[in-house]
Amino acid sequence: MNGNLLALSHVAKSVPGGRLLFGDVSLDLAAGEFVAIMGESGVGKSTLLNLVAGLDAPDRGTVALDGTLLDTLGEDARAALRRRRIGFVFQAFHILPHLTLGQNVGLPLVLLRAPPRAAIARATDLLAAVGLAGREGDYPSQLSGGELQRVAIARAIAHRPALILADEPTGNLDPDTAARVLDLLVAQIRETGAAALLVTHSEVAAAAADRVLRLTADGLVAA
Amino acid sequence: MTAAWRAATAPRWMIAGEWHAHPVRIATAVIAIAIGVALGFAVHLVNASALDRFARGLATVNGGADLRIETTSRQGIGENLYPRIARLPGIAAASPVVVLHARIGGMPVDLLGLDALRAAQVTPTLLPRPGAGDPMAVFDPQSLFLSHAALAGHRVGERIIVVVDGRAQSFTIAGSLPGAQARALGMIDIAAAQSRFARLGTIDRIDLKLAHGADTGRIRATLNAALPPGAILAGTADDADRTDALSRAYRVNLDMLALVALLTGAFLVYSAQALSVARRGPHFALLRVLGADRRMVTGQVLAEGLVFGVIGAAVGIGLGLGIAMLVLRLVGGDLGSGYFSAGDVPPLVFAPGAAAGFAALGIATALIGSLVPARTAARIAPAVALKNLGDAIDPRRTPAILPAVSLAGVGVAAALMPAVGGIALFGYLSIGLLLAGGVAAMPWLARALLAPLARRHFVSPAIELAVRRLWGAPSQAAVALSGIVASVGLMIAMAVMVASFRGSVDEWLGQILPADLYLTAGGDAPFDPTAQRALAGVAGVRHVVFSVQRPIALAPDRPALALVVRPDAASAYPSLGRRIAAPPGRIGIGVSEPAARLYQLAPGATVALPLGGHRVLAFVTGIFRDYARQAGAIAIDSTTYDQLTGDTHRGDAAIDIRPGADPATVIAAIHRRLPPLIADTIQILPVAALRQRALAIFDRSFAITYGLEAVAILVGLAGVAATASAQTMARTREFGMLRHLGVTRRQIVAMLGIEGALLGLVGGIAGVGLGCGVAQVLIRVINPQSFNWTMDTRTPLGLLAGVVLALIVASAITAMLAGRSAVSVDAVRAVREDW
Amino acid sequence: MLARLLAMLALLGAAAPPAPFAIARPGAAFAFPRDHGAHPEYRTEWWYVTGWIDGPGGTHRGFQVTFFRTATGLAADDPSAFAPRQILFAHAALSDPAVGHLLHGERIAREALGLARASRADADVAIDDWTLRRLPDGRFVTHVAGDGFALDLAFRPTQPVLAQGDHGYSRKGPDPRDASRYYSVPHLAVSGSVTEQGSVTTVTGNAWLDREWSSTYLMPGAVGWDWTGLNFDDGGALMAFRIRGADGGTLWAGGTWRAPDGASTVLGPHDVAFTARHRWRSAGTGAAYPVDPLLRIRLPGGVRTLPLAPLFPDQELDGRAGGSPVYWEGAVTTPGARGYLELTGYAGPLKL
Repeated sequence: MNGNLLALSHVAKSVPGGRLLFGDVSLDLAAGEFVAIMGESGVGKSTLLNLVAGLDAPDRGTVALDGTLLDTLGEDARAALRRRRIGFVFQAFHILPHLTLGQNVGLPLVLLRAPPRAAIARATDLLAAVGLAGREGDYPSQLSGGELQRVAIARAIAHRPALILADEPTGNLDPDTAARVLDLLVAQIRETGAAALLVTHSEVAAAAADRVLRLTADGLVAA
Repeated sequence: MTAAWRAATAPRWMIAGEWHAHPVRIATAVIAIAIGVALGFAVHLVNASALDRFARGLATVNGGADLRIETTSRQGIGENLYPRIARLPGIAAASPVVVLHARIGGMPVDLLGLDALRAAQVTPTLLPRPGAGDPMAVFDPQSLFLSHAALAGHRVGERIIVVVDGRAQSFTIAGSLPGAQARALGMIDIAAAQSRFARLGTIDRIDLKLAHGADTGRIRATLNAALPPGAILAGTADDADRTDALSRAYRVNLDMLALVALLTGAFLVYSAQALSVARRGPHFALLRVLGADRRMVTGQVLAEGLVFGVIGAAVGIGLGLGIAMLVLRLVGGDLGSGYFSAGDVPPLVFAPGAAAGFAALGIATALIGSLVPARTAARIAPAVALKNLGDAIDPRRTPAILPAVSLAGVGVAAALMPAVGGIALFGYLSIGLLLAGGVAAMPWLARALLAPLARRHFVSPAIELAVRRLWGAPSQAAVALSGIVASVGLMIAMAVMVASFRGSVDEWLGQILPADLYLTAGGDAPFDPTAQRALAGVAGVRHVVFSVQRPIALAPDRPALALVVRPDAASAYPSLGRRIAAPPGRIGIGVSEPAARLYQLAPGATVALPLGGHRVLAFVTGIFRDYARQAGAIAIDSTTYDQLTGDTHRGDAAIDIRPGADPATVIAAIHRRLPPLIADTIQILPVAALRQRALAIFDRSFAITYGLEAVAILVGLAGVAATASAQTMARTREFGMLRHLGVTRRQIVAMLGIEGALLGLVGGIAGVGLGCGVAQVLIRVINPQSFNWTMDTRTPLGLLAGVVLALIVASAITAMLAGRSAVSVDAVRAVREDW
Repeated sequence: MLARLLAMLALLGAAAPPAPFAIARPGAAFAFPRDHGAHPEYRTEWWYVTGWIDGPGGTHRGFQVTFFRTATGLAADDPSAFAPRQILFAHAALSDPAVGHLLHGERIAREALGLARASRADADVAIDDWTLRRLPDGRFVTHVAGDGFALDLAFRPTQPVLAQGDHGYSRKGPDPRDASRYYSVPHLAVSGSVTEQGSVTTVTGNAWLDREWSSTYLMPGAVGWDWTGLNFDDGGALMAFRIRGADGGTLWAGGTWRAPDGASTVLGPHDVAFTARHRWRSAGTGAAYPVDPLLRIRLPGGVRTLPLAPLFPDQELDGRAGGSPVYWEGAVTTPGARGYLELTGYAGPLKL
């Protein structure tokens, strides 16, 4: 509506057929802004990210990306929006086991119909940037958890998204690795200039953000 | 092109990666398609080649005349018809022919008696080429001209003995028949054929050349009006019809069986794809989260099916070509059925059109098998599936039975439909629907069958876990079983049908073969009354029943029926259903079941038989079972036949020997009593040997169907193995969790074995039940509609039990083998690993 | 006339059977109508009609209708109705100067079941729809049809039968056994219709019937022969032939001249001479025919010279496609007469 990249307005969401998660969430995110969201387990932090990505629809309220209300878009249009504008980092990495690291990182680019050779070339550069130089031909089974998340970070920024959604990116990692991965993530986000929503339990992780918000049943409050 | 290729990059990577990781799964699906295509194509090629050869052979003997007037029986046509026909307007030339079924040195040869000067105008391909350059030789009563095939090592100039119906005559080989090299064909002068083989006054065929620009329809009408009883008009189209009718049902049946094998392939592809999609749910979810649309996901799964189909079809066409070559070489063009009695191996006729057709069918099959899984993949909710730890299973949901019942209901309704153009199309549709219904019923059936187990609690955790899982996830079980249920159902159906058929044939043989010895002259009729009396007087012979089979045509576009001439014809064969005594003064005949169905005859009906140059009205007294003559048979009493035709020659004899006489001695005595030339052409077999031989022929003709069955079951088992291992692999995390809970590896493997065994049991029971149902379609719909005979159902219980047992063991073993490798994965890693 | 034999021999082969056949002998008179019919005990026989037909507007055409019978010597006792004892065949041709070459057709069949027959009682021969027979009123009638033409003609005798040679014993060589039984009927008055390319015209004309039967015809060394039969406008009739050797020389010759008053003169080997003048070369077969020979005959009143002129040059009958030989059979004129000339053995020597 205004010049913001992302605008959530009075969003409410319940568990299907049950308990209310949150009743009134509003959030504006400017381009390049890095916001961390914290909260108790089960409060609906991941659900909030799904709403932002258009993977789930709010019970009430609106979500707008680039000024476009998501609920006015069809499923394929929302998929196209995700493809172009959003990068994802998951707690469980979700690196496809049958693809090489290069293909995994290049995947967002080929989904945007980039030439495969160019996609792999950029993936190779990005893998080098996250400390996995020369490993674009390896398969994920050869990697440790920390390394997998580095691959995921490279994938998230491969297509220069305007918004990166990171859901507990360090949740599956030991503290030392988590710290290094978080540094990398923050560095990459800053470098690309993308806005980011980081859902995390970690105070350390949250500390790297421009703003830290806490999700409660009532809504988002500044931490 | 480039844009499309680029758009398909992600699916391409996904497919290549998947196949790199699971080659066995791919191989199973490809093989399933390949086998279906190969079988269909091979059967088609063999049939086409044999039919082509058969039709060519027939065309050779017929010489390519525009039209032919043919005798409806072996009695022939009075020769005075020939000048009458030749003088009709519109007939440019007429060539009279005497057709003899001769043996030369034991080899059967079609021997034509021709007037070379007339044949030159009508059927030039039948013209002889005199070897010594003496054209007069074509008229010489001593001259015999042989095709290359009939020459069989003899030389021009040699004297040679020709035997026709026991009459031996010596000829000089005077030259060749250049127009008929591959067919065993001989030519003599028509006068020699008449006077030297007791055919004075009769001919068997008049070949006609029509005047240029003549109105064929009008001429046909004129001719038909001029024809006496005992003669029919035939043209090239009729030949094709007859040839086709002779073996169409058999060919179409095999083609259909091959298609059903392909259908099984579709179920296997479905099974493989459905599992693969279930296992890869999170992959598809990730793609969707990253922004892939549904179309791309659907496209990816369909593309996988397409590649299965293309590879499978390509492999299948090559394989089919190989099988066809092998079959032609090993079994002959008739697939062992005896329909095409061409002596040698017909050359393979490659059919690019058919190859393309079967390849397309294979590809379509793979795509159809992938359709439902593709839709499932596209419907995955990305956010849910991405986080899902396993299969979305809700044990509270009861699987639906309605779709299965509807499919089966339509299937049963289709079975009640009549044949389409002599082909049981709806019957085959019914089989397909019943199979689909059976597969669709699997989730419900699995739960129903496991319900008694699920209500109990087992001390052994392995059993408890196995039962819980199968009962709780019946659709998973169903997917695993769909391929095997279809192939086992098909196999059981064929087995029950063949067992019923064989049993009925065996029983029938027992009824029609009551004597001790059987003598046959292989289609000739060499025994005149004197020879018959001589045979009956041989030492050790108590009683002889002589009979003969003569072809008799009732319709020009149908193959000739067999007229079986024997004493007490009406009562010699046990009647199916009621028997009516012929009214006084009427001629009673029995008709075989195929004849009754082909010509719509029932006891009490009247048939006009062309006999002895007259149209004789005969009364159908009863219908007898006959599996030997698919074109139909009519049994007529010897005395009646002799009076009507004056043809007292016989070719077959059923011989009872005196008590205590040694069959071998009697056989030797009979051989000694006969003139050596006749003795060489006949066969005498003890009843047991004859029966054995008949059943051997039966088994040979079903060898190809046994082969099809074996392949179907193997494909099914391969499907079970692939499915079991895929499902087991997909549950690696579940096993890791169980290990964490303190379940031992051994217990997990045992659990998987029990799951496998239960799956096999359910699949076996379902398959057997389905198979018995489909068998009834084969027995009651397909066979009567295709072959015009019925049979009594016989259930091979041992085989059914064996199949169920084999299935239980096989699926238990494959599940355990897959489980061993699954549980060998480190337990901690297994839990942590998301895919 | 002898060309008929050629056709037969080429079709049936040359191997002369050991002689189960009757031999032509002198001293027997003809008996009619019996001798108009077939003589199956002889090896070969023909009914040969040649002549001129005159259409409306003064058009003239030539025609030939020939029925041959040949005995195979086979199947003498065969009871079959198809027994191959006698083979019948026929040639017919129409010489139309407007066409410039012969229209011709042929038939062949074994004598069987009435479709092909040659009566022994009177002239009545037929092969399918081709017929030639004598009616009770003495006329001969024929129907033949070939490619593009059909003849339906009646021939009324206007003169008595002309017995050739010694009362019908006609020698063909120095050996007295090389001979035939031979009579002619010259000056036949023609009536009927001719169909040519679909158009039917009513015609008249005059023709010549040759009847000849024999078992031993050709002498060794013969390659062919020249023959002519001429109807003179004044009622006279001439038949002359010579048999040629390989060098073109005459091996035997003969003929008969019957004056308008009915007096016959038998011509011997020294009384007949054919002298070639121009030769017409066939483009199709390469044969060169002396189509306008000078015929000289010695009569009691002196030598008579008859220059023959063809109706048109290309009257060659190329029967090779039907298994028959190549010969020239054409309508000719000479001052005061018209008739037919036959030239055989010019496309290559006969192999007997």
